Amino acid sequence: MVNIEQLKFGYTRKKNLFSQLDLELTPGNVYGLLGKNGAGKTTLLKLIAGLVFPQSGKCQVNGFEAGQRIPQCLEDICFVPEEYHLPAISISRYVSLNAPFYKSFDHDKLKWLLKEFQLKSGDKLNQLSYGQKKKFILAFGLSTSARLLLMDEPTNGLDIPSKSQFRRVIAASLSEEQSVLISTHQVRDLESLIDPIIIIDEGKIIFNQDVDNITRTLSFEVLPEIVENRQPLYYEEGLGGYAAITPNIQKKDTRLDLELLFNGVIDNAKRINQTFNAS
Amino acid sequence: MHHRTMETIKYFNINRLYLLTRRQILSNAYGWLIAFGAVAGSLLVISLLVAISRTSELTSLDGLYLSVMFIGGYVFTSNIFAELHQSQRSYQFLTLPVSATERLVSAWLITAVFFPVIALLGMAIIVLLANLIASFTFNITPFQQVFSEANFLAIKVYFVTQSVFLLGATYFRKNNFLKTLLALFVALVIYQLIIALAGWALFYPLVDGPRMQFGSGAINTEMETLFLNRIPGVVSFIFWYLTVPFFLVTTWFSLKERQV
Repeated sequence: MVNIEQLKFGYTRKKNLFSQLDLELTPGNVYGLLGKNGAGKTTLLKLIAGLVFPQSGKCQVNGFEAGQRIPQCLEDICFVPEEYHLPAISISRYVSLNAPFYKSFDHDKLKWLLKEFQLKSGDKLNQLSYGQKKKFILAFGLSTSARLLLMDEPTNGLDIPSKSQFRRVIAASLSEEQSVLISTHQVRDLESLIDPIIIIDEGKIIFNQDVDNITRTLSFEVLPEIVENRQPLYYEEGLGGYAAITPNIQKKDTRLDLELLFNGVIDNAKRINQTFNAS
Repeated sequence: MHHRTMETIKYFNINRLYLLTRRQILSNAYGWLIAFGAVAGSLLVISLLVAISRTSELTSLDGLYLSVMFIGGYVFTSNIFAELHQSQRSYQFLTLPVSATERLVSAWLITAVFFPVIALLGMAIIVLLANLIASFTFNITPFQQVFSEANFLAIKVYFVTQSVFLLGATYFRKNNFLKTLLALFVALVIYQLIIALAGWALFYPLVDGPRMQFGSGAINTEMETLFLNRIPGVVSFIFWYLTVPFFLVTTWFSLKERQV
């Protein structure tokens, strides 16, 4: 679906954000793209959407070069940015003007999503709150039936019930042919949704594993103390002990702590990845 | 799979062009109607004021109408890609499943074809209204009609020159109209400097002290033909037939290469 090979990109010629970036995304997954601020998460989404062009290398979506912005390719991509402007028109007018561009637009799905998000077709877009606008953009994006959905910080600005509603809607409305790439630093919001996990740092993919593999290889537990000769892969001091990542030698069934994993990978990606290679 | 898909790529589709043009017009209709109404209303008031002050003669306000149409058209053209230059809107415009060719043709149709037609019809309606009001109120019919040969020539000039502003609309990110005007001004200054230098180089041999020696034999007939027939002919050909294609192609590249 998405094939990135040896990609080089920088906003200026002198400083590269990505060099020799490789990534492959396959259908039927909700990828979580995690990284620190400025790591290049949004830029990677823009590269896949064809909004910025690589300096060299390949960035293909369904066999098309993303930067060519070929209509047939764009029909299968829906980009939901973090910040956006919606025109001063009603939801129904917006849909009537934009939906016909997508041959497989699902009007029934849109009706269901609008009802789910408590939006009315007569509502003026510019009078909606930030969270409602986000819900509308999401509803429209999901209804395009695009095979690739790119979402930049989709839970920012959503209240707590809306975040769980977001997870429910995404899980319920995706088909096997579709894939979602969600860029976020709000890992807790999407912990139960995203799989596989991709972590990006300093312009490189430093971690790319599915959740099943992560929980089989690593164990996430709270240790009462850190023993000198049995150091965990990573640990953080917290209330009641140390939240730690250890190799899952005993094949224990532990719950993935995404925030801990992220911090551990950022702290020492090589060490964490070696555990995967050894297992 | 990939090969089959590549074979069916269509860079131009009349249905997509229709959808895009419809989207552009209906999304911006409210703002455009307000601007058009304000300009038309102002012109009608000015026309009636002129009718009151010059009741004895048949007055033509074509100059004013055309000036408004030209300036209005250039400003309108300069803002046709406004969506492209606002970070929170550009992603929508650029990820819409249409090609760069369709984006260009749609903008060109709206600004170079629909606009002058609507402007000319608007002028005709204003003149008609002004004449009606003046004939009922002052018993006079002061204005000529707008569908004259001179006005059609002016529309043709607008059709050619607006393509420069279409390029400015994609190339510049802010103050597109003023920046295009400035670029045109600089280009004209350079053009005039070149002409002056060429003239100086060509006629320098004829200068004899403080005077130039003109008369039979001063310039040979070939030179005369070149300056009086060929160069104006070439310039006219370039203006009428090459300006629009050149600027449209340049605008297409500017759209195609646009990043956010």
